[in-house]
Amino acid sequence: MVRNKATVIAIILCAAITATLISMSCSNKVIELPSVEIREYEGKDLSSINDFRENSIKGPQYIDTESYQLKITGLVENPSTYTYGEVIGNHELYKKVVTLDCVEGWSVTILWEGVLVKDLIEEAKASTDAKVVIFHAYDGYTTSLPLDYIVNQDIIMAHKMNGVVLPPERGAPFQLVAESKWGYKWIKWITEIELSDDVDYRGYWESRGYSNEGDLDQGFFD
Amino acid sequence: MIDNMTYVRLIEKTVRWLLLVGIIIYVVTGYGITEFRIVEQLTFGLLTKPLAFKIHDALAIPFVTLLLLHILLPSVVRHFRLKQH
Repeated sequence: MVRNKATVIAIILCAAITATLISMSCSNKVIELPSVEIREYEGKDLSSINDFRENSIKGPQYIDTESYQLKITGLVENPSTYTYGEVIGNHELYKKVVTLDCVEGWSVTILWEGVLVKDLIEEAKASTDAKVVIFHAYDGYTTSLPLDYIVNQDIIMAHKMNGVVLPPERGAPFQLVAESKWGYKWIKWITEIELSDDVDYRGYWESRGYSNEGDLDQGFFD
Repeated sequence: MIDNMTYVRLIEKTVRWLLLVGIIIYVVTGYGITEFRIVEQLTFGLLTKPLAFKIHDALAIPFVTLLLLHILLPSVVRHFRLKQH
């Protein structure tokens, strides 16, 4: 009888100690859960981040954000290089809902979050001769947009979509949100932003016959 | 002397073959748009995505026309046959 009582007390003590240890460990550490995708924003229904078709020139690129570097080059006074943390940590972040229209016929409406490209360009101090911004991607893809368009339209370079960090398939670490332009202007996996005076520069698809302007209200062929 | 029936049959046969070629081109160019990486490789870079787009778009009206002819011509043939008898 006495032995049974001792056993019960020992079990209760063990349980109490275990519970205390668990509660202590839980209260000290915040466990981060994966972000949940937003599907509605300010009354607008959003597409899913899985609604895209993968149509890049060399398939998804997997870039390590720890070693990632973004270069600002060309006609600038201060050519700069940023790490991933410096781009999103040292610049104001902006959000906007924009629809991507692909030439293939599908479209997605997404809440994009990122930095203004013009903020990066301002830091690098663009030369007065600079007229065009050429974006280079990790897979060798390029596209260009007029500098005035980038500045006046507040074009962002997104690192998040629908509140979730961009997955590699969607262009991580950064995808350009080239609103009012066809999808081939929305370059993914951006590694370099080059300022140029070459208004006739043509990117990957543009040099293969697509319109250099890429305006949505016009056809995508020249 | 070649009669009307022979002409209709010849047209019917031509339409049938053209439609078959049209379907093949339509499907291949469709894949040339959506699966351009594979199709470009298979065609040794001849069928690029922009070219596939142009052919696919240009083919839409001729394809529908051929399809309609393919559907309607047999009834024309039947009409001629009835007349002959």
